[in-house]
Amino acid sequence: MTEKEERFLQRLLATFKVEASEHLQSMLTLLPELEQGPDAAAEATLIETLFREAHSLKGAARAVNQREIEMVCHDMEQLLSSLKYGEITVSPEIFETLYQALDRLQPLLVGTPAPAAPTTAPVATNPVPAGVVAGGSAVAAPASSASGPVAEATRAVPAEPVASETVRISTAKLTALLNQAEELHALKFGAAYVASEIAELSRGFAGWRKEWGKAGKALRGSRRGRARDLAAQVDGLLETFEQGDARLRLLDERLQRIHRSAEQERRSMAGMIDGLLDDMKQALMLPFSSLLELFPKLVRDLSRDSGKPVELVIDGAAIEIDRRILEQMKDPLIHLLRNAIDHGIEKAEQRSQHGKPAQGRVSITILPQDGNQIEIAVADDGGGIRHDRIREVAARSGLLREGEVSDDEALQALVFESGFSTSPILTDISGRGLGLAIVREKVEKLGGRIKVESQQGQGTCFRIVLPATLATFRGVLVSIGDRQFVLPSVNVERVARVARHTVSTVENRDTIPIDGQIVGLVWLADVLGLVRPRSDDDAPLQVVVLGNALRRIAFVVDAVLADQEVLVKPLGPQLQRLRNIAAATVLGAGKLVPILNVPDLLLSAIRVAPAGGAVQASAPEHQQRSLLVADDSVTSRSLFKNILETAGYRVTTAVDGLDALTTLRVGQFDLVVSDVEMPRMDGFELATQIRRDSKLKALPVVLVTALDSREDREHGINVGADAYIVKGSFDQGNLLEVVRRLL
Amino acid sequence: MTASTPKRIDWTAVRERMAAAEATLRETLEPSSQAHQQVLQQRARQMAQVPASDAAGETLEVLQFVLAHEHYALASRFVDEVYPLRELTQLPGAPRFVLGIVNVRGRIVSVIDIKRFFDLPERGVSDLNKVIILRDGSMEFGVLADVIEGVNLLRMSEIQPPLPTLTGIRAEYLHGVTAQRLIVLDAQKLIRDPAMVINETVES
Repeated sequence: MTEKEERFLQRLLATFKVEASEHLQSMLTLLPELEQGPDAAAEATLIETLFREAHSLKGAARAVNQREIEMVCHDMEQLLSSLKYGEITVSPEIFETLYQALDRLQPLLVGTPAPAAPTTAPVATNPVPAGVVAGGSAVAAPASSASGPVAEATRAVPAEPVASETVRISTAKLTALLNQAEELHALKFGAAYVASEIAELSRGFAGWRKEWGKAGKALRGSRRGRARDLAAQVDGLLETFEQGDARLRLLDERLQRIHRSAEQERRSMAGMIDGLLDDMKQALMLPFSSLLELFPKLVRDLSRDSGKPVELVIDGAAIEIDRRILEQMKDPLIHLLRNAIDHGIEKAEQRSQHGKPAQGRVSITILPQDGNQIEIAVADDGGGIRHDRIREVAARSGLLREGEVSDDEALQALVFESGFSTSPILTDISGRGLGLAIVREKVEKLGGRIKVESQQGQGTCFRIVLPATLATFRGVLVSIGDRQFVLPSVNVERVARVARHTVSTVENRDTIPIDGQIVGLVWLADVLGLVRPRSDDDAPLQVVVLGNALRRIAFVVDAVLADQEVLVKPLGPQLQRLRNIAAATVLGAGKLVPILNVPDLLLSAIRVAPAGGAVQASAPEHQQRSLLVADDSVTSRSLFKNILETAGYRVTTAVDGLDALTTLRVGQFDLVVSDVEMPRMDGFELATQIRRDSKLKALPVVLVTALDSREDREHGINVGADAYIVKGSFDQGNLLEVVRRLL
Repeated sequence: MTASTPKRIDWTAVRERMAAAEATLRETLEPSSQAHQQVLQQRARQMAQVPASDAAGETLEVLQFVLAHEHYALASRFVDEVYPLRELTQLPGAPRFVLGIVNVRGRIVSVIDIKRFFDLPERGVSDLNKVIILRDGSMEFGVLADVIEGVNLLRMSEIQPPLPTLTGIRAEYLHGVTAQRLIVLDAQKLIRDPAMVINETVES
């Protein structure tokens, strides 16, 4: 087989996989419907559709030489055909046979082998025995031929991504995207127009400047000249002035016109970009049904295995959500369903004793919510979570102290604790155990939250709130010193300013009252391992209360800057997972800002050494201030370092301006003390560079030098130094005084 | 007087000698096709010989750069691009060798300091202004550099086995060092090193 043919077959197989899984999915949805015993007309339609699906899959399988799939489909087709023509009637055995056939198809499709030479193609040696058609319960056993596909499936692995990375998108959405992309042409023309207008304007200015220069020359000439033709010269100048005035008016008008069209351009560009982004997000949306259609079969299997009759009710399956979120939610939802059936729903006898219908009921309800969020509620009508037992186990494992009163909500939230759920007793009684911690982690990773509601004897409901789109979400932008961070709004419960005197220490931890509740207080800087910037002792504290299902803690920040939509960017393949930082976003002119991981922060906050921070923090304040000393002389360096360290500052040294600049770029400093004469880069240049650097420009710079001329002082001030100390008049006192004043 | 008669020129002999000389000349200048072939084959054999100096073999195309006055080289096929370092966003809590992240046309790339990664003493002065973006498969990160010196072809034979004491870098990350003290790093080893991937969690 040539390489080209091989590639073609690979492509064909990839296409087949997509098609086949659709047929399979559709059969998996239709079969439970048929089983629920619809009326005769509906039954006929369902059988007919199932028959056609099996038939199409058979044809497709034959086209790509998938003999085993073809055989399974063929048997299903025969059975369905007998049903269709009334040769046999539906019975549990028939369903069992059909389900088993579907079960056989699933692994076959997953490992669809690479095209093999016809001679090695697996031949199904065990077709469904004829007895089944007659209503018997014999079942096809996938036996000897199994070794064939398995061996080849291993080979087929590299071809796998071809199918899995394909996205189906409706033509309507694609057309909308195309239209928007075409519209971008208009922007190109708009920008070209503005550019040509500006070029014209600039030519106008050049002409004017030339004449202005001439007039200036004439004026200077006339000053040296004799006074007798003064009148004529004044006339000439007046004329030039009037011409200039006319030009000025013209240029002004033109400038205003350009301004207007640039503004118009900007507005339409903003509109188009937002629209395109929205539509692009739409293209990534899939209805929940694409995931939920797996579930009727799953529930049926679980119900059969556990011997509890259960019906599944799905509501809101047409609601769309980001494809990536949906993929991530598959396992958590399966886990919750399994829990609900295994442990939530009681046995039929027990249910009748409590006056409930024998058949249990599990529901999945999708509900759109405000602010681009979607709620998924997974509910059962089983026994519910027994609070007394949670309390008992919690007390035993130390999560809850003896006699501590905790409201129902807080108590129920404990089931998400990972240490908690492994307790065998809890798993016995309520069963909501192993894995709930993982479900919570998944949900929180997606920027969502989960909580549980349970009425004893009435059932349990897990409510998961997720963002509808993953790409952007709302975030609160906060700052610590000159660093900025984004906190996902979904975790921000409150933003508040609190007076320092309201901080009180409970069990060696700072707390503040928020909405009548006592909430733990930590400095975000401490949690992140940053230096706490100095702050006014009397100023109120700016706090952000963060919370998840388990706890809420108030974090002190310097300022809350904005609440805005942010675009989430992963940190790249090297940084798989960082403590406290989930991702980053791009703000303003390409500036990256870390997005914090709130569940991590809440955990880290507990680990931060408990200290009565709010009150005592101000005393050893300047010890935390970090200074950089740049001097090429070892003696001067050690002198400054010594003086400043004795005064309680943290001092780093650099050997010249370039070294200082590099150190400043990668470190965190509050002030720079620099010599002027240094090799490679002098102090003036260092100060200039610092003022030019977007991150460093606010950094106070103190120049210390032997140069004591007025020019040098002026030069120092021109390049942006905040203070200029001359070595001749240097003493310890004035350096410290200057540093203190600038910090 | 026959004896005294001047010697008569033997024209026949002269002509014969001339003819012989001409034949030799022609053979040399216009060799027969057989001789022609022989010469050509000999030349071809000579040219087909690999020069002795290149016999040791392969060459390695490298990107040379300076970091803290040391000269380093990385195989260029792992270098995606060199990007000017404009704004570096630090990540609190990240390991020391991860300096931060940069925005490369909307994509986030993490940036490391190889001196810190190798625990080299932090002496000397750096003017970190370039990021060399390394990529292999799905792995990608940037390496900070002071100056980019360009792309060069190194003969493998020039690269001496590494002397750990000379570079302070563990031998497994090195191809070796050249006579010019160019430290040739094993880019692939660096990129694929599991120690490079950060996967931190917070214990509860």
